[in-house]
Amino acid sequence: MRKYLLKRIFYLFLTLFIVATVTFFLMKLMPGTPLQNEAKLTASEKASILAQYGLDKPVWLQYLIYIGGIFKGSLGLSFQFSDQAVSYLIGSRMGPSMQLGGQAMVVGVIFGIILGAIGAIRKDTWADRLATIVSILGIAVPSFVLAILLQYYLGLKLGWFPVAGWEGFAYTILPTLALAASPLAETARFIRTDMVDVLSSDYIELAKAKGLSKFGIVYHHALRNSLIPMVTLIGPLAAALMTGSMVVENIFSVPGIGEQFVKSILVNDYPTIMGVTIFYSALLCLLLLLTDIVYGIIDPRIRLSGNGD
Amino acid sequence: MNLKTAAKVTAVAGASLLFLAACGSKSNSATSSKQTATITEKSELPTMDLSKSTDVTSSNMLNNTNEGLYRLGKDSKVTPGIAKSTTVSKDGKTYTFTLRKNAKWSNGDKVTAKDFVYGWQRTVNPKTASQYAYLYSGIKNADEISSGKKAVSSLGVKADGDYKLTVSLDKPIPYFKKLMGFVNFFPQNEKAVKKYGSKYGTTSSDMVYNGPYTMTGWKGTNLTWSLKKNKDYWDAKNVKMSSIKFQVVKDASTGLNLFNSNKVDDTILSGTQVKSYKTNKNFKLRKTASTFYVEFNQKDSNSDLAKAFQNKKIRQALSMAISRKQFVNDVLADGSTEAKGYVSSDLAKSPTNNKDFADDAYVASGVEYNMTEAKKLLKEGLKETGQSSLKINLLSDDTDGAKKSTEYVQGQWQKLSSKVKVSNQNVPFKTRLQRSQNGNFDTVISAWNADFTDPISFLSLFTSDNSYNNGKYNSSTYDTAIKNATGKDANNETARWNDMVTAEKTLMTDQGVAPIYQQAEAHLTRTSLKGIIYNTAGSQYNYKYMYVK
Repeated sequence: MRKYLLKRIFYLFLTLFIVATVTFFLMKLMPGTPLQNEAKLTASEKASILAQYGLDKPVWLQYLIYIGGIFKGSLGLSFQFSDQAVSYLIGSRMGPSMQLGGQAMVVGVIFGIILGAIGAIRKDTWADRLATIVSILGIAVPSFVLAILLQYYLGLKLGWFPVAGWEGFAYTILPTLALAASPLAETARFIRTDMVDVLSSDYIELAKAKGLSKFGIVYHHALRNSLIPMVTLIGPLAAALMTGSMVVENIFSVPGIGEQFVKSILVNDYPTIMGVTIFYSALLCLLLLLTDIVYGIIDPRIRLSGNGD
Repeated sequence: MNLKTAAKVTAVAGASLLFLAACGSKSNSATSSKQTATITEKSELPTMDLSKSTDVTSSNMLNNTNEGLYRLGKDSKVTPGIAKSTTVSKDGKTYTFTLRKNAKWSNGDKVTAKDFVYGWQRTVNPKTASQYAYLYSGIKNADEISSGKKAVSSLGVKADGDYKLTVSLDKPIPYFKKLMGFVNFFPQNEKAVKKYGSKYGTTSSDMVYNGPYTMTGWKGTNLTWSLKKNKDYWDAKNVKMSSIKFQVVKDASTGLNLFNSNKVDDTILSGTQVKSYKTNKNFKLRKTASTFYVEFNQKDSNSDLAKAFQNKKIRQALSMAISRKQFVNDVLADGSTEAKGYVSSDLAKSPTNNKDFADDAYVASGVEYNMTEAKKLLKEGLKETGQSSLKINLLSDDTDGAKKSTEYVQGQWQKLSSKVKVSNQNVPFKTRLQRSQNGNFDTVISAWNADFTDPISFLSLFTSDNSYNNGKYNSSTYDTAIKNATGKDANNETARWNDMVTAEKTLMTDQGVAPIYQQAEAHLTRTSLKGIIYNTAGSQYNYKYMYVK
């Protein structure tokens, strides 16, 4: 197990190194400079500003300086937020994104499991059909459309929730609901399909024959077995939720990282582009690693060998 | 888990959410009887460092929390700031400011002439990497200091005691007093800059203030902050607002929902919202000193096109084919207005008859729509150049507004003749800028924003040797007029104005560029909010005299 973990961690760092290298050189292919009002600067002013940021050096040297900085724990200074460390920017912006992503994940998965289980248990009844409709809507309706509808009806018309802002837990509810729709639908579909299979398997028949209660069969046998493949779905889903909620963050004025990342690309804020990319990659790699570990813990049949198989 | 259990879990979770929502929706309405208001901002606040501010949000916040020699009032008129009185030498090259003695920093220090000397030297110092240092051009030795050729101490600004400041210029700058209302010329407290070091201006607490308000709640990257009345401000008795809260809202429908639920008192509208709210009592249109125009590449690498764009009739034909009115009303529909010329409206007024520059220098043919005349001109133009057809590439940004612009212009130009073929290229802003500057385009829709409220901020661009004259428009009349306005007539307000009028009229008569529209921001501002001073350029918002009625 330890050998496996060490190997996975080594690959994690190797992946991050490759991501950093590729991103760095791709970024350098982007046209223009980070200067905000480039067209209004004289050549000498431009030169002195570029020198300030080390952008006058050859690209390979800039690369070495940047990679060296990462090893020292520095992601550099943002060009958009003058003198603001990229690590601080990520730290302060990632919190709300992760909170929303986490909440949406929990709400989506819990309600998705419930919905999927109801669909499977009550297969081909009105409850199943309702669960299916909810799942289809959750996948078909984009989160930003749902966000706008929730904001307008529950926020503005009914006044139950704050319309937008980030001043407490109540402000997280609407964006959480908007983001939770997709994982809810995905989970519900997944669980339903899997449980329908499981519920028709021989060991469930055996459990029924043994006289176990319906709840006991569903909870201890069907649901648990369906949750195992579910774990593989959760890792990437969580990463996508934590990093891909840009539009929803904008609609609810959440100070998250998504929109800032896109803006940093548009204004050639190189350190922020690099910092956020590395952070996103690290997050995804970690979640995938965690998924594999949890997979092994949930299913006793799966044992992590030193060879990683 | 059976159905009942599932239903219970769902009900409990739902009830919890509702309860939490109820707890959270108790926030106060923005429209209280107190002197408080909430205003939306469309982007984050990148910095409060006076030397590094380049964007509108920073400029607005600095303009209300700090103060320079002057403060820009209504119609960009200079109103009293830290300067109590000013004398200008006959040659217009030396300004002597006497400062008021009752101005204080929020750390208790007095505002002195040394703070101006320090702040200005810090901005022009190449080590500071200020992107607005070029505005100092014209102050003695500023250019040489910016390019590292002279010592920072040689800048033409001297403190004679605590309350006398002398500024020496290389040449007269007619709009110098207006520049003094620009945040990059405000004083800086050396003690504070040194105390906070690299953190200076990165949060509201790593900063000192000498203006009508102080700032709280800005942590560097968050989306809300507040301005509080500065009791130590020298003119605090005229500041009525106790607090102004700012909330960054990037989605226009969110802004509108916040406004309609009384959570904010001012918000920006999008194009589609403008149509519905045009007649609303809270509707306000705020023009910006920003003109969008077509540049024709007279040095196009395609020699046929270069020849075509050097022909005045072809340029005029392409300009006349654009119905600015139809474009701003039916296509863009975001509150932007038709361009009256290259220099934007509501920027500057004539020293003799108070007429707006755009009206004084108006040349109807430069911005009129006349398809019949345009077709005729094109025919004549093509005959003169010996060409039978035109294949034009139209370059612009990839924003929604730019795409609408290129599509509209493409359609109009193709209506001129079946021999005119137009293909559009919408590229990211940085790419468009680079291609424009490299002359890698046939025609491009560019935009220019004035830095300060003087027509020269626009006009200096199209002299034949200016590096940002992308289309390489060339006119000796234009060049002479600008040379006179910045040289021999710099101290003669009327002559200088006439020079600039001549330049604009020349550019429009020649159709050196084809202006399309002037950008405007449509707002919903609660009618109870009074006293907001807005200017189209420079430090746009002055909240000093704002109050809630």
